[in-house]
Amino acid sequence: MAGGLAVSSRQLAALRLLRRRLVQAVPLMLGVVVINFVLIHLAPGSFLELMTAENQVSDPATVELLRKTYGMDDPLWLQLAKYVWALLHFDFGFSYRQNMPVLQAITINLPATLLLMVSSIALAFAVGVAAGVVASMKVRTAWDTVVSVVAMFFFAAPSFWLGIMMIVLFAVKLGWMPVGGMITIGGPGIESVGGVLDILHHLILPTLALGLFYAAIYARVMRSSMLEVSQLDFVRTARAKGLSRRQVTIGHVLRNALLPVVTILGVQMGTVLAGSVVIESVFSWPGIGSLLFDSVSSRNYPVVLGIMVLGSLVVIAANIMVDLLYMWLDPRIEIR
Amino acid sequence: MDFASRFSRNRGALAGAFVILLVALTALAAPLFYPTDPLRIVAQPELWPGEDPAFPLGTDSLGRDILAMIVHGARATLLIGLFASAVATVIGVGVGATAGYFGGWIDELAMRAAELFQTIPNLIFVLTIVVILGSTLENIVIAIGIVTWTPIARMTRAEFLALRDREFVQACRAMGMGNLRIILGEILPNALPPVIVLSSLVVAGAILFESAVSFLGLGDPNVASWGRLVGDGRQLIRSSWYICAIPGVAIMITVLCLNLIGDGLNDALNPKLRDR
Repeated sequence: MAGGLAVSSRQLAALRLLRRRLVQAVPLMLGVVVINFVLIHLAPGSFLELMTAENQVSDPATVELLRKTYGMDDPLWLQLAKYVWALLHFDFGFSYRQNMPVLQAITINLPATLLLMVSSIALAFAVGVAAGVVASMKVRTAWDTVVSVVAMFFFAAPSFWLGIMMIVLFAVKLGWMPVGGMITIGGPGIESVGGVLDILHHLILPTLALGLFYAAIYARVMRSSMLEVSQLDFVRTARAKGLSRRQVTIGHVLRNALLPVVTILGVQMGTVLAGSVVIESVFSWPGIGSLLFDSVSSRNYPVVLGIMVLGSLVVIAANIMVDLLYMWLDPRIEIR
Repeated sequence: MDFASRFSRNRGALAGAFVILLVALTALAAPLFYPTDPLRIVAQPELWPGEDPAFPLGTDSLGRDILAMIVHGARATLLIGLFASAVATVIGVGVGATAGYFGGWIDELAMRAAELFQTIPNLIFVLTIVVILGSTLENIVIAIGIVTWTPIARMTRAEFLALRDREFVQACRAMGMGNLRIILGEILPNALPPVIVLSSLVVAGAILFESAVSFLGLGDPNVASWGRLVGDGRQLIRSSWYICAIPGVAIMITVLCLNLIGDGLNDALNPKLRDR
């Protein structure tokens, strides 16, 4: 099984999967752009009117010039085609509020959001899988009950509220954690070890607030998946050949039981990204959340569109990674 | 009936149903308990719960009765959850049934659409829709429905795929029944149980969604839903954190009980899918 041929054929399969997913991503991205483009043009009051009102431009000649520059007189399909064409050249337009290209405005803020996403998913996965395994190994005991009751509560608590309550307890009352933000002002620089620790310190509460909801889901799914897999024939075989219960659980059941959790992980990626936007607002985390609110309320549509497009790209990329993980976990699967 | 006995065997579901019934009754009776506008200023601000017996849950930063706002907010929160779930169910069943029944390119197209809506970060999409079309209750309900229909569509499609070639459907075809009649009258009733379970869970999800939208200050300004109350209390967490805590607990209990009801419906309607 560990022969060189087997490895290379799996690598080949992974590459084929990657290629297929990238091809599928093209119509998906086009769909995202079209839906959002149409939505934004449903808005009462044109982008131009708002922009001129905000900058107090009243000279008809200037307005006319802006109309021309932005192609507002073109039919909608032509505007869409031009936008898609520009996107293909990584040109997301220009944001007058930030006075920089849209792509730049977003990419400045994106890393903080990605950091929050990744740490929350990691926490949810670790806690959820561990809790699910414990519950399934001690099924119908007090352990099992505790896991399902706690999971039920975190599954029902709004993440933003959980975040605020944690701020009250851990930051205001106990003083263990910072109230918000990503770095201590005047603290150590990001390059130093102290700076990295400082960011991690700020990351703890937002990660818990966002991640525990998903941990609750994974715990439930993992529990029932473990119970299901442990009834399968190959588990009985493994026990029969003399392996201990623990060895079978860790070595045989766990790996197979992870598959449904990984599936859900992929499906929920968009939800996690959106959820982090809410958590960012609670903890003043400097991600794309604040940029989104500012742009949405000032109707800075190029930025809103850009966030949608880049956000969807992040989700697609994350899904591809999940697919590869899936393949690694279960070599039988040749993904469609 | 069989359904009732199987549902009531799940004690959690029974308790959940009881609490939700209570919340619903409170929502209906809100004008009886608190006939005046709940957003009216009635007492001195920031009274802690229990400090004044006339205001058991205290008052907020403006001196508004928190209990009155919770009771009135129940109405908004439950209605939004129910209607959003209804929108999601109508879209999901429509798309899923069409895709599963006809198959082929229609199925392919429908599933790509579902994938598309799963890719767009849902809450960001809702916020954009609400801001562009206006923060009214109807728009929020429709927006939540638009981003939550995909699991219902997948479930309905799977059921239709399993049922469409069964004998009773072939018999209907042989009798010359039209596609629409077969879909709505013959297959759908058989496909409905798991869909109902999922819709009940979508109600809980929709409530969480709405609370996030309102919390961010983008809810209907004329409606004091629970999420908005949490958002309003945010500025005062240092002195009066209870203003935030109370409406959050209300959301949590309601969502928790709706989830319990969903579990109970699952036990009662499709024993095969237990523990999923």
